[in-house]
Amino acid sequence: MDVTLKVGGAAGQGVQTVSEALSLILARHGYYVFSIEDYQSRIRGGHTFTLIRTAEQWISGGKRALDILVCLNEETYLLHRGEVKEGGVILGKVGNGDSGKGVHLLPLDFEGVALRLGNRVFANMVATGALLAILGVGLEKAQEYVRETFAQKGSEIVARNEEALEEGARFVEASGLFSSPFLKKRSDSLKASQRYLISGNEALGLGALLAGCTFYSAYPMTPSTGILNFLASRAEAYGLIVEQAEDEIAAINMAIGASYAGTRAMTGTSGGGFCLMCEGLGLAAMTETPIVVIDAQRPGPSTGLPTRTAQGDLLFVLHASHDEFPRFVFAPRDPQEALNMVIRAFNLAEKYQVPAIILSDQYLADTKWSYDQLSCEERPVRPLFSWDGVPPYQRYALTPDGVSPRLSPGGEALVIADSDEHDEYGHLTEDLVLRKAMQEKRMRKLEFMRKEMRLPFVLEGKDATLIGWGSTWGVLLEVRKALAQKGKSIGVVHFSDLYPLPEGLRDFLQRFPNPIVVEQNFSGQLAMLLERETLFPFPKRICRYDGLPFLVEELVEQVEEVL
Amino acid sequence: MTVATPFDAHGVEIAWCPGCGNFGILQALKEALNELGYRPQDVVVVSGIGQAAKAPHYLRVNVFNGLHGRSIPVAFAIKTVRPELLVIAESGDGCMYGEGGNHLLHAIRRNPDITVLVHNNQVYGLTKGQASPTSGEGFRSKAQPWGNLSRPLNPLSLAISQGAGLVARAFAGDKEGLKEILKEALSFRGFALVDILQPCVTFNPVNTYAWYRERVYYLGKDHNPEDQVAAFQKSLEWGDRIPLGVFYRNPQPTYEMKVEGRAKKRRNLFEEGEFQRVLQEEVARFL
Repeated sequence: MDVTLKVGGAAGQGVQTVSEALSLILARHGYYVFSIEDYQSRIRGGHTFTLIRTAEQWISGGKRALDILVCLNEETYLLHRGEVKEGGVILGKVGNGDSGKGVHLLPLDFEGVALRLGNRVFANMVATGALLAILGVGLEKAQEYVRETFAQKGSEIVARNEEALEEGARFVEASGLFSSPFLKKRSDSLKASQRYLISGNEALGLGALLAGCTFYSAYPMTPSTGILNFLASRAEAYGLIVEQAEDEIAAINMAIGASYAGTRAMTGTSGGGFCLMCEGLGLAAMTETPIVVIDAQRPGPSTGLPTRTAQGDLLFVLHASHDEFPRFVFAPRDPQEALNMVIRAFNLAEKYQVPAIILSDQYLADTKWSYDQLSCEERPVRPLFSWDGVPPYQRYALTPDGVSPRLSPGGEALVIADSDEHDEYGHLTEDLVLRKAMQEKRMRKLEFMRKEMRLPFVLEGKDATLIGWGSTWGVLLEVRKALAQKGKSIGVVHFSDLYPLPEGLRDFLQRFPNPIVVEQNFSGQLAMLLERETLFPFPKRICRYDGLPFLVEELVEQVEEVL
Repeated sequence: MTVATPFDAHGVEIAWCPGCGNFGILQALKEALNELGYRPQDVVVVSGIGQAAKAPHYLRVNVFNGLHGRSIPVAFAIKTVRPELLVIAESGDGCMYGEGGNHLLHAIRRNPDITVLVHNNQVYGLTKGQASPTSGEGFRSKAQPWGNLSRPLNPLSLAISQGAGLVARAFAGDKEGLKEILKEALSFRGFALVDILQPCVTFNPVNTYAWYRERVYYLGKDHNPEDQVAAFQKSLEWGDRIPLGVFYRNPQPTYEMKVEGRAKKRRNLFEEGEFQRVLQEEVARFL
C-alpha cells in the first residue's frame, strides 16, 4: 500500500485538524506517514491543503498523483480534481461535477452530517472517519485519539465526535466502494507497532531542549514560528526562558547576552528576520560568544512568499554580516537529523566560540515525517568554561588554535567583551598590530572547525549522481528508487554540513559520475559553493524556485531530461 | 573630591575630551557602587557605541560593550539568566533614544531589574556634532545646517507615561547629587531610567555647565514620585527651570520575579541519566 491523498479547503475550515488527526491515527496504526502543508499568508479563507502520503514502507517524499482527494470546499474539487489518478476517490464537496476517467465520486456533506450531530465543528471527524473507511483502517485508534483530544471539553463532545467518526465511516461503507481492490491493498503483515510522527520545527525545538538550551528569543516569523511555539510549550516544565522579542535585532542580542551570562541560547527566524540579525551575528563573532541561529528559509527577496519554501539563503548566511569571521552552517536533511544537529551545533558553537547557523525551510519546518524510532546519538557536551585560574584572566588570549579561555561573569575574574576590536583582556584598542593578531586568531579557528565537519551522505549510482543539501534529501532518495524501477542507477550525495566544507572534498567528489545538483533556488547556490571550494564545474543543475517543494514524479521527469 | 574605589581602572587611557561631562558620571557611578557595597565581580555594565558607551572600559567591572543601540536587550538577557548580578546598561542619547529607542519601550514593558544610564548631551559626539534625538529644534550642525527640524524627544515623559519602574534625571555637573540619584536607581528593584544631563564641551555650545547651573534644581519633598500624573507634569518642565531627581517610582513585579520558579525546574542535560529521562519523556509525545 502506498496511498497519496490531499485534504483541501479554506484556511480555518479544518484542513489542519483533519490532516493532523489522520496522520497521527495512521502512525499509531503502524503506517508510515509523510505530510506536507501548503497554506497561504492569511488567517481565514484562501486555499490551503495538506498532502499526505501513507505507506507500509518508510517514505521520505510527497507524490503528485492522488489516490484520494478530500474536498472541504468546492474550490478544492475544482483546483485539484485533475490530480486524481484513475481508480482514485474524490470525497466531500464535489458539486455536481463528473468524475471522468474512472474516478469515484463520494459526495459527502461533512457539515450537514455535523450539524445533524449538533455542531459544525464535528465535520472534521466526519471527514476523518470517512477517510479511514476508504483506507480500510478501523476506528479504534481514531476513537482513542478523539477521547484524548477532546477529554477536556467533556464527555458530551467526545461522544459527538465519536459519532461523527462513525457517521463518516458508515457513509463510505454504504457506498459499496469499500470493497474495491484499490482500498483492499493493505496487507495484514503490517506490524502493529506505532510510528513516531514529527515535523522539522518540532525536531529543531526538541533538539534545542535536549541540547540544554535554556534561553530562546525570537520574533514570530513564518515558517520559524513553530520552534517558538514548541519551546514555549516546554518552557514551564523545563524552566526555559522563551521571550518574544520586539524585533529580530533584539532577539539575537538577547541570545548573545544570555550566552555571555553563561547559558546556551538560541534564536530563530526566516530570511527577512535574519537580515535584521546580521549585525548581531557579527557581534557574536567579534565577542566570540557562541549562539545558534535558525533560519527557516522562504522565497524572497523581501517579504517574498511567507508560507512557501526555498533554499535561497545559503550564500547569504555564508557571508552575512560585514568583514570575515568563522561560522558553522548546517542544514538538516529531515526531522530526525535536525534533532541531533541542534545539539551538535550547540556543542561546536561553544567549542569554537562562534555562531552556528542552521538552515531550515518551510518544507522541513512544516512537513511531518514518520519513523520507527526517534533516536538521539548526540549529547550536549558540558560548556567549555575553561581558565587555568592563573591571573590575569584574558578573555581573548592569543592561542595557537584561536580559542581563548571563556568564563561567564559572576566569578572572581572579570569578563570583558567588546564589539570593538579589542586587546587580550577584551578592552577596545586601536593598536593595529594587535588588530591583525586578533583577526588572525579568530580566523585561525576555521581550519580546526573544518576538521569537525562530516562528509556528505552517499548512495552510489552508475548513471548519475544527484547532489543536494538540507530538506531535499528525502525526495532525492525517492527519485533514486523511482528511477531504479526504470533501470537507471542514480546516486545521491547529500550535504548537511555546509560550512566550513569538510576536508578532502575535492578528492571525495571526484568519484561520482555525472553530477546533477538539485536545489530550491534560482542559481544553484550549493553548486556555486562547491565550484568555489573544489574548482570542479557543476554545470548540470535542477533549480526549483516557485515556492513549492519537489515532488517525486516531477523531479523524476526533470532528472530524466538532464541525464 | 575624588574618592578611590575598587571600581577604579588603572592604566587605561581615557578617550574623552578634557572637561567632558562623562568624567563626572564615571566618578559618581564608581562611588555609588562602592557605597552600596557592591564588588566589581557582582556588576555587569553593558553598553552600546559612542563616547558614553566607552565608560565600562574605564571601570573595573564585567563588561559587555555591544552594538550601537542594542545594550538593553543584552542587559535584559544577562539579568534574566543571572538575576544575582547587578546589571547596568549605559550609553548616550543617540544610542538609547535613537538607534535603540524601540528596545527602551519594550524594556519598560518587561520591567527587568536593570538600571539604564543615559549620558544625555543632546548631540552626537563621536560622529562629530550631528543632532541627536534630544537636540533642540533649530540646533545647527554640518548635517542640519538649516537647523534641526524635529522637536526633541522627552525621555522622562515617555518613560513615565508607560509606567516605568523608576524615572529620574540627574546632572553630570553635580557629582554628589548625581551619586544619590544613582544609588536610588541602582537600589530600586525594577527597570530604572536615569537621564543624565551631560555637557558636551566640544560640540554643544548651547547646553554648557554654566547653562545648566543657572537652571537646574532638585525636586523637593512636595513632589510625590508615586503620583504618575504629577510626575508626568513635572517631566514637561524644561527651559528656565530644569528639575532634577527621582520623578517617578512605580514598584511592580520584575520580569525575573515572574520567571523565578523556572530556574528550579531546569534539568541537567549534561548528565547522561537525566538526558535519557528527558529524551524518553519527550520522544514519547510524538507517538
